[in-house]
Amino acid sequence: MMAAMSTGGGEPGSQAESRTSRSPQAMLERRYARLGLLLIAPSIVVFSAVIIYPLLAAIYLSLFELYTPTLEGGFVGLSNYRELLARGEFWVSLRNTLVWTAGTLSLQIVFGIGMALMLHQNVWFRSLARSLILFPYFVSTVVAVLVWRWLFNDLYGILNHLLVEARLIDMPIDYLGAMPNAMISIILVGAWKYFPFVVIAVLARLQTIPDVLYEAARIDGAGPIARFFDVTLPQLREVLLVIVLLRAIWDFKEFDLIFLLTGGGPVISTQTLSLLVYKEAFALNQMGMGAAYGVVMMAIMLVFMIFYIRQARKGDSS
Amino acid sequence: MAGVEFSRVRKEFGGFTAIEALDLRIEEGEFVSLLGPSGCGKTTTLRMLAGLEFPTAGEIRIGERVVNDVPPGQRDIAMVFQSYALYPHMTVRRNMEYPLRKRGLPAAERQASVLMAAEMLQLTELLDRKPRQLSGGQQQRVALGRALVRDPQVFLFDEPLSNLDAKLRGHMRAELVELHARLGRTMVYVTHDQLEAMTMSDRIAIILAGELQQFAPPQEVYRAPANRFVAGFIGMPSMNLVDGRLAHGSGSWQFMAPGIALPVPALAETAVAGEACLGVRPEHVHIGAGELQGRVQLVEQTGHENIVVLAVAGGIRLTCRTPASMIPRMGDTVDFRIDSERVHVFAPGDTGPRLNLPA
Ligand SMILES: Nc1ncnc2c1ncn2[C@@H]1O[C@H](COP(=O)(O)OP(=O)(O)OP(=O)(O)O)[C@@H](O)[C@H]1O
Ligand SMILES: [Mg+2]
Repeated sequence: MMAAMSTGGGEPGSQAESRTSRSPQAMLERRYARLGLLLIAPSIVVFSAVIIYPLLAAIYLSLFELYTPTLEGGFVGLSNYRELLARGEFWVSLRNTLVWTAGTLSLQIVFGIGMALMLHQNVWFRSLARSLILFPYFVSTVVAVLVWRWLFNDLYGILNHLLVEARLIDMPIDYLGAMPNAMISIILVGAWKYFPFVVIAVLARLQTIPDVLYEAARIDGAGPIARFFDVTLPQLREVLLVIVLLRAIWDFKEFDLIFLLTGGGPVISTQTLSLLVYKEAFALNQMGMGAAYGVVMMAIMLVFMIFYIRQARKGDSS
Repeated sequence: MAGVEFSRVRKEFGGFTAIEALDLRIEEGEFVSLLGPSGCGKTTTLRMLAGLEFPTAGEIRIGERVVNDVPPGQRDIAMVFQSYALYPHMTVRRNMEYPLRKRGLPAAERQASVLMAAEMLQLTELLDRKPRQLSGGQQQRVALGRALVRDPQVFLFDEPLSNLDAKLRGHMRAELVELHARLGRTMVYVTHDQLEAMTMSDRIAIILAGELQQFAPPQEVYRAPANRFVAGFIGMPSMNLVDGRLAHGSGSWQFMAPGIALPVPALAETAVAGEACLGVRPEHVHIGAGELQGRVQLVEQTGHENIVVLAVAGGIRLTCRTPASMIPRMGDTVDFRIDSERVHVFAPGDTGPRLNLPA
């Protein structure tokens, strides 16, 4: 009783601990530490199984020349990477990926912010539109792409039909089978499909900007445009950073939408790195090569990540 | 320089009438407080003046100009909000400079104005900080500074001190009074704190449920409240209000309630015998000698004086002040007297008008 009271008393904690690690306090602390480990163990196991293992496996596979169906083959070291960097197809695909990502992402952001601002104006409109606007985001990519392919079809597509009717064009346009139409088409469909994410995230942030800031700005003589740039945009800065980061990563590795719309064509004009990985690994059955492309993709995304994390940190500290 | 005038201003929110028909004329250079209980329409009135809310009917003038359709930025007013409303991403300097920037002033002039205001408010050291790196009191001063740099015709304040602690509030009160004296600008100040209104204002507009109850200098509001509501609202501890009857006899008026019978001073011609309300300030109830009796129910010692609650017959309670040295014992029955020259008489009803002849 006396001992417990004296350790719990005025003495500095570190001294009490070093003197006797058996003190009730130290034992309790160790038990807490063990409990902590136990509690985070499941997350670590799951994280390792679904993220760390595939990551390491991909890096490992990329060092082999493997035939996909049997996974047989031999160790080749870094030769997959050497070959990959020497191939024109890699650079074309990388360029396509960047064009696609930059194009669709900027459209998503611009439309997303614009739509969010519109919806924010009117409360009644907001609740209705908020559910409708999510539609493209929720509809499965396969369904969406089928609809778009039908709309885009050069023979019976409604888009061409309307444009010809309106005498805006004489000949049906080939939206998906010619360049640059195909790239523009996938960028537009990508923007259509994913801009609702931006709308929702921006709208949520807009609703937390205090009205009184706008009122102060009005009294200070700021018109609607000045209020957007001086009040709204700075407040959106942080959420936009996160949105751009997430959407950039997701767009960068987008597969199904492009694969289903153009399959990477015409030839390889819309073939992004994801499609290239798929082609190597499952169409050409070069699992090792596919893995190498995958690892390179990951490295590029890592650059994105580091850049944005830096930016976010800077934002916090300033 | 400009005064402010509300004429027959009405404000409805949907079907709810927040302000009935407000008539208020604020003179040039006057410091006027809008005072009233929560929800009475003070903020609404101020926001209509700022142009953030539109009157349903009536006219608002700033100087000679009807401003009903003038956007806030062109009314030549500045407003300090309760929550300060500083732009969070801008430094103090940028915040204060913003209204000047939006008016297209050249950089050198902006700089000079900001520095002058910063000096006046002791913000010079803080000019490069962001609002969140400031204490509440400092943010408040920046908000004030943003209003000052403009040198507007009219300053509007919506409870600017209510987020500060008591000591800082007292300090800022004094600063605002000094500022008003120095600038001589019209200032409209919304508060529900009567101490702020009493200490700072040239005149106080007391509002209840969207209706103006009295508009007069602080001393007059205190000495001659226009009606029962004002009487009860102004003063700490508040005025004793006793319901009873007025009787007229042999040329003088008499007020009667259980345990109390009192001759009252001359009343206006509108006074009639019957139900009425007697108002007595706590300082006008004197314990010690007198023809009335009450039992001491509560004694609060504030240090420099005591607040004593007496229970009189018929469930009537009277609050009175006694000097610090005089501490009655709880439960004792004491004699007391009411200074009948200083009582107020009101017609019945929550806002029953004052019946005393003007002093
Ligand atoms: N935008 C609005 N929509 C509907 N009713 C409103 C609106 N703004 C104010 N009101 C109502 O108008 C009345 C007056 O409100 P106001 O904000 O002017 O009160 P106040 O005197 O400033 O009160 P407080 O001291 O609590 O700030 C209140 O009953 C309030 O509910
Ligand atoms: Mg208010």
